[in-house]
Amino acid sequence: MTTNSTLAPPAAAPQLAASAHAKRAATRRAALEWIAVHALGIAATLFFVLPFVFVLLTAVMTDNQALTGDLWPKDWRWSNFGTVWNTPGFLTWWRNTLLYAGLGTLLTVVSSTPVAYALAKFRFRGRNTAMMLVIATMMLPPQVIIVPMYLFWAKQLHMSGTLWPLIIPLAFGDAFSIFLLRQFLLTIPKEYTDAARVDGCGDLRTMLRVVLPMAKPAIAAVALFQFFCCWNDYFGPQIYASENPAAWTLSYGLESFKGAHHTNWNLTMAATVLVMAPVIVVFFFAQKAFIEGVTLTGVKG
Amino acid sequence: MSTATGTVHPMLKAKRRRETLRNLAFLSPWLIGFTVFFAYPLVSTVYFSFMKYDGFAAPTWNGAKNWSYVFNDYPFFWPALRNTLWLVVVMVSLRVVFGLGIGLLITKIKTAPGLFRTAFYLPYLAPPVAATMAFAFLLNPGTGPVNHLLGDLALPQPGWFNDPGWSKPALTLLALWGIGDLMVIFMAALLDVPKEQYEAAELDGAGPWSRFRYVTLPNISPIVMFAVVTGVIQTMQYYTQPLVAGKVASGVIGGSGQQFEPGYPDKSTLTLPQLVYNLGFQRFDTGSACVIALVLFALAMMFTALLMRRRSGFLSAED
Amino acid sequence: MSRLTKAAAAIAATAAISLLASACTGSSESAANDDPNKDVTITFWHGWSAPSEVKAINANIKAFEKVHPNIHVKVQGNITDDKINQALRAGGAGAPDVVSSFTTDNVGKFCSSKAFADLSPFLKKSGIDPAKTFPTAMLEYTQFEGNRCSLPLLGDAYGLYYNKDAFKAAGITSPPRTMSEFKADAVKLTKTKSDSYSQLGFMPDFHGYESTTTHLSAQWSPTYFDKNGKSNVSKDPAFASMFNWQQDMVKALGGFTKLEKYRTTFGDEWDAKNPFQTGQVAMAIDGEWRAGMAEDAGVKFPIGVAPFPVPDDQAASYGKGYVTGTIIGIANTSAKKNAAWELVKYMTTDTDAVVSFANAIHNVPSTYAALKSPKLSTDPAFQTFVKIAQNPGSNTTPPSVNGGTYQLTLQDFGYAYESGKQTDLTAGLKGVDTQVDKDIAQAK
Repeated sequence: MTTNSTLAPPAAAPQLAASAHAKRAATRRAALEWIAVHALGIAATLFFVLPFVFVLLTAVMTDNQALTGDLWPKDWRWSNFGTVWNTPGFLTWWRNTLLYAGLGTLLTVVSSTPVAYALAKFRFRGRNTAMMLVIATMMLPPQVIIVPMYLFWAKQLHMSGTLWPLIIPLAFGDAFSIFLLRQFLLTIPKEYTDAARVDGCGDLRTMLRVVLPMAKPAIAAVALFQFFCCWNDYFGPQIYASENPAAWTLSYGLESFKGAHHTNWNLTMAATVLVMAPVIVVFFFAQKAFIEGVTLTGVKG
Repeated sequence: MSTATGTVHPMLKAKRRRETLRNLAFLSPWLIGFTVFFAYPLVSTVYFSFMKYDGFAAPTWNGAKNWSYVFNDYPFFWPALRNTLWLVVVMVSLRVVFGLGIGLLITKIKTAPGLFRTAFYLPYLAPPVAATMAFAFLLNPGTGPVNHLLGDLALPQPGWFNDPGWSKPALTLLALWGIGDLMVIFMAALLDVPKEQYEAAELDGAGPWSRFRYVTLPNISPIVMFAVVTGVIQTMQYYTQPLVAGKVASGVIGGSGQQFEPGYPDKSTLTLPQLVYNLGFQRFDTGSACVIALVLFALAMMFTALLMRRRSGFLSAED
Repeated sequence: MSRLTKAAAAIAATAAISLLASACTGSSESAANDDPNKDVTITFWHGWSAPSEVKAINANIKAFEKVHPNIHVKVQGNITDDKINQALRAGGAGAPDVVSSFTTDNVGKFCSSKAFADLSPFLKKSGIDPAKTFPTAMLEYTQFEGNRCSLPLLGDAYGLYYNKDAFKAAGITSPPRTMSEFKADAVKLTKTKSDSYSQLGFMPDFHGYESTTTHLSAQWSPTYFDKNGKSNVSKDPAFASMFNWQQDMVKALGGFTKLEKYRTTFGDEWDAKNPFQTGQVAMAIDGEWRAGMAEDAGVKFPIGVAPFPVPDDQAASYGKGYVTGTIIGIANTSAKKNAAWELVKYMTTDTDAVVSFANAIHNVPSTYAALKSPKLSTDPAFQTFVKIAQNPGSNTTPPSVNGGTYQLTLQDFGYAYESGKQTDLTAGLKGVDTQVDKDIAQAK
């Protein structure tokens, strides 16, 4: 710390000339670095943003222009979005996706929170084993257990052709959400729960009244992740809902959109935009919660 | 609280019982979920892997035949495993390097950092099906804008998703586009590196590379490890992107009655999860599908064990 | 430690119980004892998705509902075979009663697994003699090992489509009849433009939409399985001849790499940008539906239709082609089989229904009576396909226990061979045989 002062801008007047020189060199170097960093930044931005731009441009092209390789629409067809929106089924897919993502998120948060709380705050034998099992579940590709799961839902409960086989399990805790919440709850000092207990709060009240309000950012992150996980899910609806178009979700419907409606790339890209749009809108409203959430997954609590 | 001396105090015993009940109550959703949606299907998968079951007639014992079919005779198994290896080596390492690079870049950007961060992060959120459809269109060899631009610049125009040699690089490009998650994790880790260490290194005359090598890397190495292992595990689950890309590029995306050919072009986009679908839900060879599922399980658990042994904060037990 | 063991035991016990529950999953065959005169709603699944086809099928159903006012039909379109297979296994309230599939590939699976109900009792009850009602080839592909579990619902035939303007410009006066004429015409019709084409005579790559290994092989009248049900691909010279011909075509038209690159500029097969419809290729192998689709897409040039050429040494068999068809059956899980049969009977045997549906979607009618009907469209293109369908040399891909898997295996080898990844044809075809036999053994 003390050695720092030699590098810091000197306060004293006598060394003015020398320091001015050093200052100028430093400024020049900083300027060069600024240019280099921001040039790279802009290049990277192009890489990340241009695909969106091309998709959007194609989405407003006419049928005839869509496969020509022209990049700029000659005739802006904003009505393409209306056409897609009014395609039979599209609205149903929207509604189904919203149901799956909305209800799925609610159930996940409600069921995962007490589990995460217990794993973070209670001491009991087998706690580490339980945590390890949670992680193992989290890491398991969904395809590993899909065959018996499908037989279970389709043959025992006759629920294939609906989204319920995807929603109901979320009422029994989601491993990733439990893991993420638990990581966050570990960071809440024990003193708060102890204080609550001294005040005569039971465990449930301590969790609901004291700890959860402090864990709002983590809950928001879990909710967002789950929402997008459901929104983006393709495999689940493909397995359980594919046989019944009335139960399709946007992700599944989008993939078959082109074939089912014999449409061109322009309308397909318009549909793609309409599937991406809600995700992007939600992101702008909840940016902070997102980034905090991603950070929580990787950095130790 | 008295220390345990000889007999347990009855009040203590009652308290313990109460606590056990409380623990069970809090854990109950997961206990049910784990049993019904994890343990049972897993055991069941093992059971079915030794059975012959086409979804209609009752399952019959099939011995090790499914296992031998998958390993010796199923033409998609080894290509899928090779593809997975390719993706683990190339895609995962490129993603880690690129994610670290973008993370470094974002910590250095001083003007409008929020704007840049949003732009870098956004593709990560694009639904995989939508993103893959978009890339299949952008990279369409004959008509897509990317090859159009490459042609204008007199650069070679690869076949991307239509060329067995380029389909995995194209998928890698798609994966790099969605680097947002790693970027944020690395960004957080980089901001956590103590400033004093950099200052001390600078005093010692360390250049930017040495500072990165001797200060940054050691500090963020657990996160690098975390990114690598989770990347490998994600690769084991890689399903939607290769499937959709193959389907769209082959042109067989909705022709009813046509059976789509998994792994187009030339099995180059096959991954293990797709085999579970192919065997279990196209051929209805339930037994062989379960064999693939167990291979997938073994691989995923192997890497998860690696993740939990390494110091990455996964199992911090302090309270 | 002991607690862990206990927990593990508990989990294992629960799992075992649920296992027992899932083990008794035999197919629930329900007897046909519903009353077809009661008010009832049945579900019908089909694969048609093009707007004109959907309109036609809905009109067909409307006509049925008029005749049977007590039976209401819930129609579900755009269903692929994968989904049919899945839903038939799942059963339940959402499952279909009547199912139609575009391919005959899965008939073997549907019949042998009892997914589709045996239709013989129904035919007998209604006094229909299949042999006198349906053409022989169609009867063949709708049954498997003696089990008649489906009936033909119109048929498809494949032939040659050609662009008449392009023919005139190249000075070709009549469609080619033999493979050597075909090759000469294809070369004449091909116009290169820098390292690509402005017009290609024919797209011989196996990925060129309908130019698949099986469709092309039909011109050589191949035998896929020997008497013992073993794969016959390396033993029947038809297949090697087809591959040699295809290689020759690929070379004559500019080579695989160049053709594949051109192929990526094509629009989708089923949309208006189909390469034949845009004029990118001058000749194509395709089914009878293409004429109607081209019309819907507003194609500018006059279209010619003819049987697909035959090998030079089989010139006398000109007129044959690959035939297949849509099949229809009743799900064994259905509890309304008698009502379902009324729909199947109407759609497959009512002459007016078959004729008007055939006219509307440009498919080949599937009963003798309908083929002779004066109401059948006299459009020359359509009549060409009707003739191909009735040609005794026309053939199809036989049903198999594991559906179309053997065709995919052959197709797969085709891709490897045309791309040069595999160069030994004899060894490759032997490999196909081995693989097909292994897959069938696994499925049996």
